[in-house]
Amino acid sequence: MAVASNTSPMIRKSESASQWWTRWLDPSERTLAVLLLLPAALLLSLIIVYPVVRLVWTSFQNLSLTSGVPAKFSGLENYALMLEDPIFWEATWNTVLITLITVPGALVFGLALALMANLPFKRKWPVRLSLLIPWALPLSFAGLIFAWFFHSEYGVVNDILRRVGISGIIWFNSAGWAFAAICLTIIWKTSSFMALIILAGLQTIPRSLYEAADVDGAGRLRQFFEITLPLLKPAIVVALIFRTITALQTFDIPFTMTRGGPGTSTSTLAMYIHQNTVDFLDLGYGSALAVVMFAISMCVTTVYLRMIRTKG
Amino acid sequence: MKLNRSLTLLLAGAAMTLTASAASAQTNLRVFVSSQHRPDVWRKAFDMYEAKNPSVKVTIETGGNTSEAQAQYLNTIMTAKDASLDVMILDVIRPAQYAAAGWTVAFNDVIGKDADTYMKRYLPAYAEANTVDGKIVALPAFADAMFLYYRKDLLEKYGIEAPKTWDELTAAAKKVMEGEKDPNLQGLSFQGKAIEGAVCTFLLPYWSMGKQLVSNGKLNFDREAAVKSLAMWKGFVDQGVAKKNISEVATDDTRKEFQAGNVLFAVNWSYAWGQFQGADSAVKDKVGVVKLPAVKGGEPASCLGGWEWGVSAYSNNKTEAQKFVQFASSPEVSEFMAINAALLPQFGEVYTDADVTKAVPWFASARPVVETAKTRPVTPRYNEVSDIIRTTVNAVLAGTSTPEQGAEQMEGRLRRVLR
Amino acid sequence: MASTMSERPPFLTGTPLRVLVGLVLVVNGMFPALWILFTSLKAENELMLKPITWLPHAPTLANYLRAFTDQPLLLFLFNSFMVAILSTALTLFISVLAAYALARLHIRGRDLILSAIIAVSTFPLVTLLVPLFEIMRTLGLLNTWTSLVLPYTVLSLPVCTLILVSFFEGIPRDLENSAMIDGCTRLGALFKIVVPLSAPGVFTAGILAFVNSWDEFLLALSFNSNPQLRTLPVGITLYQGEFAFPWPVISAALVVGIVPVAVLIVIFQERVVSGLTSGGIKG
Repeated sequence: MAVASNTSPMIRKSESASQWWTRWLDPSERTLAVLLLLPAALLLSLIIVYPVVRLVWTSFQNLSLTSGVPAKFSGLENYALMLEDPIFWEATWNTVLITLITVPGALVFGLALALMANLPFKRKWPVRLSLLIPWALPLSFAGLIFAWFFHSEYGVVNDILRRVGISGIIWFNSAGWAFAAICLTIIWKTSSFMALIILAGLQTIPRSLYEAADVDGAGRLRQFFEITLPLLKPAIVVALIFRTITALQTFDIPFTMTRGGPGTSTSTLAMYIHQNTVDFLDLGYGSALAVVMFAISMCVTTVYLRMIRTKG
Repeated sequence: MKLNRSLTLLLAGAAMTLTASAASAQTNLRVFVSSQHRPDVWRKAFDMYEAKNPSVKVTIETGGNTSEAQAQYLNTIMTAKDASLDVMILDVIRPAQYAAAGWTVAFNDVIGKDADTYMKRYLPAYAEANTVDGKIVALPAFADAMFLYYRKDLLEKYGIEAPKTWDELTAAAKKVMEGEKDPNLQGLSFQGKAIEGAVCTFLLPYWSMGKQLVSNGKLNFDREAAVKSLAMWKGFVDQGVAKKNISEVATDDTRKEFQAGNVLFAVNWSYAWGQFQGADSAVKDKVGVVKLPAVKGGEPASCLGGWEWGVSAYSNNKTEAQKFVQFASSPEVSEFMAINAALLPQFGEVYTDADVTKAVPWFASARPVVETAKTRPVTPRYNEVSDIIRTTVNAVLAGTSTPEQGAEQMEGRLRRVLR
Repeated sequence: MASTMSERPPFLTGTPLRVLVGLVLVVNGMFPALWILFTSLKAENELMLKPITWLPHAPTLANYLRAFTDQPLLLFLFNSFMVAILSTALTLFISVLAAYALARLHIRGRDLILSAIIAVSTFPLVTLLVPLFEIMRTLGLLNTWTSLVLPYTVLSLPVCTLILVSFFEGIPRDLENSAMIDGCTRLGALFKIVVPLSAPGVFTAGILAFVNSWDEFLLALSFNSNPQLRTLPVGITLYQGEFAFPWPVISAALVVGIVPVAVLIVIFQERVVSGLTSGGIKG
């Protein structure tokens, strides 16, 4: 913004204009790029990079505030401990499972929502609002609200089941049902954003493609699989990247719904990190866990980005 | 101390703060108060201190409305070694942890040689909860304990006395439930959700059998008593005395269901009393409160709650802060808070003080209960201990492990934490 | 969009069927919000009834009265709003610059930079709480809006940059070049030609950033202890007690918190969806 913009309507001679143009294009283009990327780089360094470096450093230390012992460099000890920690494996497995269930789940459900929302409604805002509200509802409160929905006595889910004639389920009494309740909630919360992105993609597909397919006598189903889905792929990949990253970080919903229970059967890696750092004050171990989680996120991001790049 | 006197002090305080406001060289103490415990009333108590000590100004800080949110907030501040707080109110389970982390300073020096006598003024459990390896790490702010609430009207109807043992409670509950034929009526409500309250749930019968979980910082786990404790709670579910989804029940669920008239016996903290007697309560004037039952042949035991004042190790005004805490933890303030905020006193004699019994009559019956209350393990790694116990209790009540499996897992995990 | 859609015979032709589909969509999206609305109109005792009630038996506005009188709800709203607006503005400014560099300038390792921006932001902020607190304290930013604006900006920066990059790539270079020939500097062209032409994308990014910061809880709790600076998610938790969780009052506060976002969505919905239309596709 500080760069003055010359707004004078004076028309430069074409020769000097092209000279000016090349001046920007060549080595100085790099300078401009650096200037433009600088604010983002500064902010990311301050808020993320510097703290992460400290976190990695802490992960090599024996630093548990409740031990009363001063911090000591311990190499990879925290990482070794992790390998023998059954709760770490359980939490990691739960995180992977939640990702594997809710990401495709949200995709399928979101696709269905998008296809429905793409119908020519007379009034569009109620449909759009109902796609956007689940996304705008704060995560922590979504968890609380759904915990209440799945309550065995006062919950609306069991109320509906009972009205239909099925006896209610005590959702949070069994690892399986609790897990199901969590996954359903996450899918509900995240599918709407998925739907929005897919809906946007649907609306850019040229109509002529369908018309040609109609002429060729292709059925609706074939059109869906041969035109709609392939053309939606780029939109879906973008949606998947952000959904997968957030799925790996799943915290609020299980935290508010089950606290990881019954037992530790629904705790996630992010919850375990939070517990070790904030509750147990074992900063060394908590940091090591966080580093592992970061590594997992990085791998997934890299894979996805490579997918985008190959798409051109 | 009489109520009038505190009022006079208060007025005097107001007058003096006005005159003192011009004075310079003030110490400003920033005190973290739990916002769920009437900071407005604490403010008045602190005004009295300011009146007596014109050079000190006390500012109240708050953050989060539950013990857990506050721990999150305080842990962040203290891990960052921040000097912005001088005094913190801490849930009774935390002083040991904070002391081990080096976040609080001990009071032994300011109290001097007769530290023992000083601590003996408090109810014994509070002296214990605030002392770690001979160091006084915090001073009690107010007390709390778990009580057995019961429906006076229903017990009278069936001519039953308030139960003294858990077996009596089971029998009474069955009799009333059979007689009432109300499908919504639960015999007993307690905390089965994996929250802090579930730790107390486990410990109540365990303590009542005369067992300790931790002694001298070492694990002293009695597997047999643990199995019995877990089996007793699961038994309430299996016999239909407690509801099937008790593993979903948190502290306030117990309160709400009892208040709606759906519960005969309820295990809960002192805050429930005020709510039960509130205007919109279905059980107003039908509630009785007694000690928690004992196991057969055991002593009654309650779970000690309450909050403590600690002085931050990063404070720049430690001495002033410690003097202030000695005031905030004094019998005068205890009485003031009992009368004006219905907080249970940490001193035995305040319960029977005439002004207190006039303002909160039920405190007279609360004293014997608080006296039976035991402290949850005083260990720096309490949060880990708590997590192990509450998840196990929850899993047993949900039926995903048997009491035997639960006790075994609990012991194994506790051994790793408390070698 | 939909108008061109009607040229083609729609899949579900019958109006009743379409109404049904619309209903399914609305129920799916709005049910929890509606449930909260109903709850906010009930007295607390009604929640303990078995079987549960759906519509309030005796609707009351008492919970709203309590929501506004027990806590300074308007102040919470104001703080949330200011923090969200400021961080949205900052996010947009920074991501417009970065996206332009990535979309237009010939930078070696462009993909690497883009990946780095995304990857760096995959770090869960929860785990960075303590170092962030120390940074904010060192900068003297505790108990200011800025302490939240900065991390919230980071929260939305990757998504916004990604969206804007694809938008900028879709704008013909010729438009820019001719503006520059007319005497605009490169940055002048960016803000006078490229940004206005990508308005839908900018709106989308803006709404994303706004909602992200509107919802955040943990940092807001930890960095701003001053009651005057509390944001809505933190404020709402103040209606609970140590044990008590008064659903009706909390629901009322939640409704008050959802309404501004809903209004924003209804006003900008056309732009959000069309923004995603052109933005989401190219990645």
